[in-house]
Amino acid sequence: MLEFKNSTPLTLGVELELMIVNRRDYNLTRGSDDLLLQIESIDHGFDIKPEITQGMIEIGTAVHTSVDEMLQELLAIRALLVKSAQKLNLGLAGGGTHAFQHWGDQQIYPKERYRLVSELYGYLAKQFTVYGQHIHIGCPDGDAGVRLTHFLARYMPHFIALSASSPFSQGVDTLFQSARLTSVNAFPLSGLMPAVQTWDAFNTYFQKMAGLGIVASMKDFYWDIRPKPEYGTVEIRICDTPLAIDTPVLLAAYAQMLARECLEGEPRPYNPDHMLTYSYNRFQACRFGYDAVLVDAAEQRQTSLLEDMLFTLDRLWPHAEALGCTNAHAALRERILKRNSDSLWLREAYADSGSLSEVVRRQSERWMYGRPTLAVH
Amino acid sequence: MSEWSLPTLTLNPLAAFGILLIVGVLGGQIARRVVHLPAITGYVLAGLIISPAGLALIDAEMLRSANLFLQLALGLALFEIGRRIDLTWLRRERILLGTVAIGCLIVFVGVFAVLVALGIPGGAAVLTASVAMMTSPVVILEIVRESRAEGQVTERLMTATGLGNLFGLVAFGIAISYNHFEAAHGVEESLIGPGWLVLGSVALGLVSASVAIRVNQWLGGRERDAQAVLLFGIIALVVGLSALLDFLPPLALLVLGVGTRQIERGHTVTEPPLAGRSSFFFVAFFVAAGAQLSPGDLRHFALVATAWLAVRTLSMMVVWWAAARANGLTHRRGAWLGLALSPLSGGTHSLALLGATSLPAGSAAFTGLMLAGVFILEIAGPILTRFALQQAGETPR
Repeated sequence: MLEFKNSTPLTLGVELELMIVNRRDYNLTRGSDDLLLQIESIDHGFDIKPEITQGMIEIGTAVHTSVDEMLQELLAIRALLVKSAQKLNLGLAGGGTHAFQHWGDQQIYPKERYRLVSELYGYLAKQFTVYGQHIHIGCPDGDAGVRLTHFLARYMPHFIALSASSPFSQGVDTLFQSARLTSVNAFPLSGLMPAVQTWDAFNTYFQKMAGLGIVASMKDFYWDIRPKPEYGTVEIRICDTPLAIDTPVLLAAYAQMLARECLEGEPRPYNPDHMLTYSYNRFQACRFGYDAVLVDAAEQRQTSLLEDMLFTLDRLWPHAEALGCTNAHAALRERILKRNSDSLWLREAYADSGSLSEVVRRQSERWMYGRPTLAVH
Repeated sequence: MSEWSLPTLTLNPLAAFGILLIVGVLGGQIARRVVHLPAITGYVLAGLIISPAGLALIDAEMLRSANLFLQLALGLALFEIGRRIDLTWLRRERILLGTVAIGCLIVFVGVFAVLVALGIPGGAAVLTASVAMMTSPVVILEIVRESRAEGQVTERLMTATGLGNLFGLVAFGIAISYNHFEAAHGVEESLIGPGWLVLGSVALGLVSASVAIRVNQWLGGRERDAQAVLLFGIIALVVGLSALLDFLPPLALLVLGVGTRQIERGHTVTEPPLAGRSSFFFVAFFVAAGAQLSPGDLRHFALVATAWLAVRTLSMMVVWWAAARANGLTHRRGAWLGLALSPLSGGTHSLALLGATSLPAGSAAFTGLMLAGVFILEIAGPILTRFALQQAGETPR
């Protein structure tokens, strides 16, 4: 029986997976151990840990009620990481995929869980060298967690378009805005949580899966959104790691506004037709970003993703005011109206230089030294 | 009836190059598959077996024929190792620069002291001590590539190799000047000659780097093959011009490599992966190095050579052990880095010949010491470096 721990509703935390690159040709490098050792030599209280392959590192913020505090913490973590990386001549970068790394060159991090994942999934484990942002939102109880998970599924294409930063994979322009999610799709337990309606029903489902020997813990589900009972949160896992240090905060603010609408607004009945359109809408957003077509199952119509995002943002304004994140709301609106996209930025860098090494160099400079444009109160 | 006889064949450079490649590949594969040694050791041993000192399947003339390709191999390695020196990093990470500089100084002083104590003339000792500062870039690049080593030890090993060669070559130029002074030669030989050697090489390297960057920029990032061919061309040109103008080719190529990394927009040149495309030349280089090994020198200078090599390796291990923490390494990994620096510079043969000209009295001792040292480390160096990188945890598990 999984116990869903209580947490303060609408509190936030984010995790970012980052690339570790060499500063010669900007390919991925096995730098996580050296970097962690260097970071450990400095007194800090931040959550920084290894990921599945050695060219990755993950950072996580503490629990926050405001996105402004979150940005301050992210800037402090970045300062620590940059200081350590500079000593080791390593680069750190955002982005959902590394533009030209070869998955076969990656090495699994020597940790028991990753060894088991590698043994079970074979080459998929190394191909999972992709970089995402996870957003945790606090929920009062398990039932609310299940309700919020279903509610947020409708908005996953929004998060894909806002965060898309993986146009290149294995040295090729994929024509996708987010190619990272294709790597996630390969796992058998990816996609969406089943249509359970309560925490008890979820537990029944989990016990069945565990009894069949398919899963041992919640970590075995590679869903785009999943309840995280040990934290008392719902975790959005669909975003690419953005290129700039302040974009993750915008995405977290958007999740917080949506969560407030779900948990404190008018209750909406669950519509099972969302399951029919989920994968198609997700593909559309990965492939076309802001230009995607969105099939609205509830309204029985097709609409433009861009329009749907603007409409949703307008609706969320009262929640932004209540949460004190109107600056983030305005920045999101501007990002959408200007069609600002990290994928576009990366493609422009390639068009300008003709070199994928140069693209990664620029994205590394942007993550390590870029000034945040989001105003902090 | 006319007598029939076999025509006398004199191998041309291409045929000599082909033989070195074929012998090398066979030797390398046997070393890897049968005795699990680095392929480089196999190349060197294969060269030694077919050398005039071994089965005499090749002679000195044939080696001279292939010299063109060997010079190119050394040039490519020095250029590549030069590209690994990142001055931006060294400005921030002064401890690395300091560790390499102090390491070179201690090696120089230690080797000089031990040689003089063993009765070697001062002029020969100072030249040998200069060469001792240099680690072979070809061996380091090939071992790192073959063992797929990555990490801080590898990164610092590459930089230390590049810087060590830079310091060593400058010290070598100064040592030649010192020897000419000692021998009361004229100003031309004592100052102008060595000055021309060092400053001319640096100038040639910098000018070539500037040209390489500009033309690479014009070619653009999409023309990677053209960029790689251009770099091959520039490297060959610098090797040739250095020889023509009596410069130090290794120094000119090292500066070319450093320059392409540092001069503004140098990143246009850092991308084409030359090292992987250079393996043809590297295989031939090691077979030829093995064929040039001189067991006679080893017999005469075994004790002294072992002494100076031991001082050299121990000094590097102690310096890197002591400076490990400040370099972000554990003491253990620091000591392994010191051991990994063992291989002796690949250009030692030509440096031995060049240095000998400044030493009418002690030239036999100098070349003997050099070649005996080369004999030991051509065979043991790659094994030590691979072992050190494995122990440091830098190779895939």
